Amino acid sequence: MKLTAGLGFKTAHLTEALTAQADGLWFEVHAENYMVDGGPRLAALMALREARPLSIHGVGLSIASASSPDCHHLARLARLVERTAPFAVSDHLAWQRWNGVHHADFLPFPRTRRALTRVIANVGRVQDALGRPILVENPSLYVDLPGHELTEVEFLTELAGASGCGLLLDVNNLFVSAHNLRLNAKAAIDAVPGQFVAEIHLAGHSLDRDSPLIIDTHAAPIADPVWALYARLIERIGPRPTLIERDDHIPAFDVLMAERDRAAQLLDARETIHA
Amino acid sequence: MPDAAFERRFGAALLGLEPVADATLARALAIHRNTAFKAAEEALADNYPVLRGLCGDEAFAACAHAFVLARPPAEPRLCFYGAGLPAFVANWPPFQNTPWLADVCELERLAVEALFAADAIALDGAAVAARLDPDRALTLHPAVRFARFASPAGSIWLAHQDEAPEGALEAIAWRPEAVVVTRPGDSLMVEPLDPAAAALLEACVAGASLRTIAAASWVGDDVATAFSALITAGAFA
Repeated sequence: MKLTAGLGFKTAHLTEALTAQADGLWFEVHAENYMVDGGPRLAALMALREARPLSIHGVGLSIASASSPDCHHLARLARLVERTAPFAVSDHLAWQRWNGVHHADFLPFPRTRRALTRVIANVGRVQDALGRPILVENPSLYVDLPGHELTEVEFLTELAGASGCGLLLDVNNLFVSAHNLRLNAKAAIDAVPGQFVAEIHLAGHSLDRDSPLIIDTHAAPIADPVWALYARLIERIGPRPTLIERDDHIPAFDVLMAERDRAAQLLDARETIHA
Repeated sequence: MPDAAFERRFGAALLGLEPVADATLARALAIHRNTAFKAAEEALADNYPVLRGLCGDEAFAACAHAFVLARPPAEPRLCFYGAGLPAFVANWPPFQNTPWLADVCELERLAVEALFAADAIALDGAAVAARLDPDRALTLHPAVRFARFASPAGSIWLAHQDEAPEGALEAIAWRPEAVVVTRPGDSLMVEPLDPAAAALLEACVAGASLRTIAAASWVGDDVATAFSALITAGAFA
């Protein structure tokens, strides 16, 4: 099956997800929610896996940490990947583990040459443990740290080239980062190395009440400027499996499917024009 | 600057352990902190819905926030987060006059463990009988959890489920309860046990052989009924 646009899977939507009729529909789940020994949640995922292609999206590898990925976490990820045989496995260009605490967000770091070497090594460890390449996602940034030696695009391009990983381009994260760091979003999307992009994420963001920043909340529909950047990206690099993410204020399944269908139509139009 | 040193400084600033002069950086840190706290607090709300219902959203949020500060997640699987919440709730000053909240919290913890425990086929009566060996312990299903509470925690939990009959809360007899948590047919089951079934399950959990159980002083005519109740609950594998 050719993959078009997919949806972040919610357990409450299982029946609708199993019976949804849409060409190329696929689902993505957060890996950590299914790193369990058994039970109904895992059984629901296995049923979904039988019906539709699946992508496993990690939110906990902490691949930009100064230390190596946690071996227990990596073993659990490997077990889940073995169980579900997903078409893609991904996580973020960020760190989360510090001083025995797992910080459940994606923290920034100075993109130095030294950091690049470290992330290449960490991605290599993950790929060795899984026996397959992973995709690495650009995070939302809220502050321009001092000490960068590479831009995000340079960093991701070198990472993909050296480690063999692919890129998961989150268009909303790119928009949020560009707004917050006062960069040109169009220039940023045009600089994305299309040859490495294997998946795209689309999500909603929210305005910060206490500052001019915008926050990557996944709590709203996808904003128009993000749709425009998405159309601009696939116009240039071609269609890619595209995920609609929503993790808060989750609407009914058909509302999410309507957003998903909009992405599917853009993908389809892109293919038709260039056929 | 070496990377570990950056993490140490950023991590300390994130937790508010170090002052941050730059307003832009301070706001960015606050956003990262809020996002992580929200995720951890939502995980607690997901894992302890009955406690939340009993004490109310506001009181729960205050307790959960204090818990996340004191015991932040140690690993990325937030579906398991909050193992220390029952002990924290037991010592949380606003709940000192409602000690049963800690019991219900403990029961909800057992429910989380049961929900994500390994799969196994629960044995019916014939299958249990076929495998009986008087000198060995019966094998419990991986999802089985057992606890004794000073309050009717099991009945309180049941009365707060969607399918609870009307008046279930008012009908609760206020007394200690022994409760089994299981997962027959892959859906969660919480059931208060009568004294015989509780004693039997407790002996099984302790790994007692059938011969030991048969000789125990608490065994009476009701042991067959107790076995039957545990088999129906899917307690053996």
